[in-house]
Amino acid sequence: MYRSLSRAVASIAFLLPALWLSGCGGKDETVITVGVAGPMTGDQSKMGQDFRNGVDLAVEEWNSRGGVLGKKIRVDVNDDQHDPKQAVALASKMVNKGVAGVIGHFNSSCSIPASDIYAKAGIPMITPASTNPKLTEKGHPTVFRVCGRDDQQGKVAADFVANVLKSKRVAVLHDKTEYGQGLADEFRKSLGTRAGVAAYEAVIQGDKDFKAVLTKVKRADPDLLYFGGVYPEAGLLVRQARELGIAAPLFSGDGTIDTKFIEIAGPAAEGTYLTFSPDPEKVPTAKAFLDAYRRKFGPHGPYSIYAYDAANILLSAIRDAGTIDGRAVSKKIHDASFRGALGEIAFDLKGDVKTAPYVVWITRGGKFEEIGSKPAH
Amino acid sequence: MLVQQIINGLTLGSVYALIALGYTMVYGIIQLINFAHGEIYMIGAYAGIISLGLLTLLGVPPSLLPVSILVSFLAAGVVSAAYGVTVERLAYRPLRQAPRLSPLISAVGVSIFLQNFVMLSQGAGDLVFPLTFPSEGISFLDARITTLQIFILAVSVLLMAALTLFINRTRMGTAMRATSQDRVMAGLVGINVDRVIAVTFAIGSLLAAVAGVLVGVYYGLVNFSIGYVAGLKAFTAAVLGGIGSVPGAMLGGVLLGLLEALGAAYISSEYKDAFAFLVLIAVLIFRPQGLMGSADASGEKV
Repeated sequence: MYRSLSRAVASIAFLLPALWLSGCGGKDETVITVGVAGPMTGDQSKMGQDFRNGVDLAVEEWNSRGGVLGKKIRVDVNDDQHDPKQAVALASKMVNKGVAGVIGHFNSSCSIPASDIYAKAGIPMITPASTNPKLTEKGHPTVFRVCGRDDQQGKVAADFVANVLKSKRVAVLHDKTEYGQGLADEFRKSLGTRAGVAAYEAVIQGDKDFKAVLTKVKRADPDLLYFGGVYPEAGLLVRQARELGIAAPLFSGDGTIDTKFIEIAGPAAEGTYLTFSPDPEKVPTAKAFLDAYRRKFGPHGPYSIYAYDAANILLSAIRDAGTIDGRAVSKKIHDASFRGALGEIAFDLKGDVKTAPYVVWITRGGKFEEIGSKPAH
Repeated sequence: MLVQQIINGLTLGSVYALIALGYTMVYGIIQLINFAHGEIYMIGAYAGIISLGLLTLLGVPPSLLPVSILVSFLAAGVVSAAYGVTVERLAYRPLRQAPRLSPLISAVGVSIFLQNFVMLSQGAGDLVFPLTFPSEGISFLDARITTLQIFILAVSVLLMAALTLFINRTRMGTAMRATSQDRVMAGLVGINVDRVIAVTFAIGSLLAAVAGVLVGVYYGLVNFSIGYVAGLKAFTAAVLGGIGSVPGAMLGGVLLGLLEALGAAYISSEYKDAFAFLVLIAVLIFRPQGLMGSADASGEKV
């Protein structure tokens, strides 16, 4: 009996690769596939799911209008687990599948290496959230972002810190990623000599204990903590800083704007500043999107609207180009100006948006609130 | 700053010690490195969160600290002990007579299985531990110790003292020591060896579960992968103290915690995790039996 069982198992195991091949082999000519890539599982999964929902909503609307170029549109979801190695592997996989374009990735450390692969294959890539300047400095004509850049973001933060908060001794922390360290360095550069940098330290993404480094920071006696990184670490950092008796406010970037940050940090989240684009709830063109999104998925995440606009930009460019040839589509993206949920979007030669409107937000009463560039009351 | 770093390190180290005890006790009795132990710790943290959720459903808010702490400890302890004993029964006992490598590989398999099981059943994202301690603390000598840190230290010390008493003063403890000296002989004089091993797993898992809840409350964040690094660090602590030695695991855990805190403060915070593993390599090269382990491999292990 064992023998026949093991034989059955072996034959099933043998058949599996064949099934897999027939499942993936051959490009389906009757649909147009749009790839979406980001961290779909793990500690940053919320961001990936927001991407996915935004793209799904856009594609659904296009499909209800008959698709694009007479074909239905399909979304291919890819989980890069915010791991650059995984991102590169997925990029090659999507290229082989023949996707017409990619909306992603979330983390700059994933977007930058993956962009080389898409560019080589001539497939347009539009990231809704990767803000590290390096991404578009490589000169790939098929790479775009609908968000701003960290040099713009760092400058807005630095101006606010110097002119409004009037901080004198700033402690700068980052998570060693392309995004986190990039943003922290841009902030430091923009700040220049307007405030002293009392400490400059790194933490490890995924770590839970920052007490050692915070104790070191405490001794430097800063009047502001700046953190370049993402919400799980930001939440733990501010919480542990308060436990150690550091009263200086935290200032962070767009990677921190997620309700999980407030959940993790608890009361310690109060008074945290961060830079992000203006609240979509205050943007008139975003209303239709926000209503549709709320009906289908519930409250929108910080990057849902960016993913939605990115997908619409890609699909409009395919329609205008009349082909899914990536280079022709990219040219259309460069040339045209789009009216999206975020308002008017146009790209410069590098693939960055021409206007990146960063403003300062604050955490107050357990909520994120836009305060522009004026002091909080 | 030194005082503060020592407080940070002691807190972290006492948690490592609690987990390391499970490694060392199991090794002492059946010479197995139970690589699934980190997952038992993680399951303890999850059981704590779930029990607090149930408690909230019953109308008891998590802010009622003594009740919620006690309930989460109990729930985590019971669930983790059940997991620990089941894992031993299903994955290690059938391999008791097999070459030593087989149960080790089985342990790695169980670890991967449990991680994925929790990921699929509880979700892959972070869970926030719904318990917060008052943030008050005592300030002295330019340092600050929070009530939570005091609580973690107190619970760890109490549990370690209780374990020492249990091993040295009770019948079961005596049976455990006998089994660790010579399993066959212990069986011949009428000790139910299978039961002793099951109890060892249950106690080790219970300690890991308490550590899981403590860490969950301390950092406020739990996910399915926390057992991996914690398990490796606790394993390092056990090796540092001398695997198989109970006081060794306690010492090793505390030393490792201190080393990490001081290393991050005075050398580099970026390489915090690397210190633990540098220690592991150094111990294996220069003192393979650990600080408190006996050079004689047949010596008493528990």
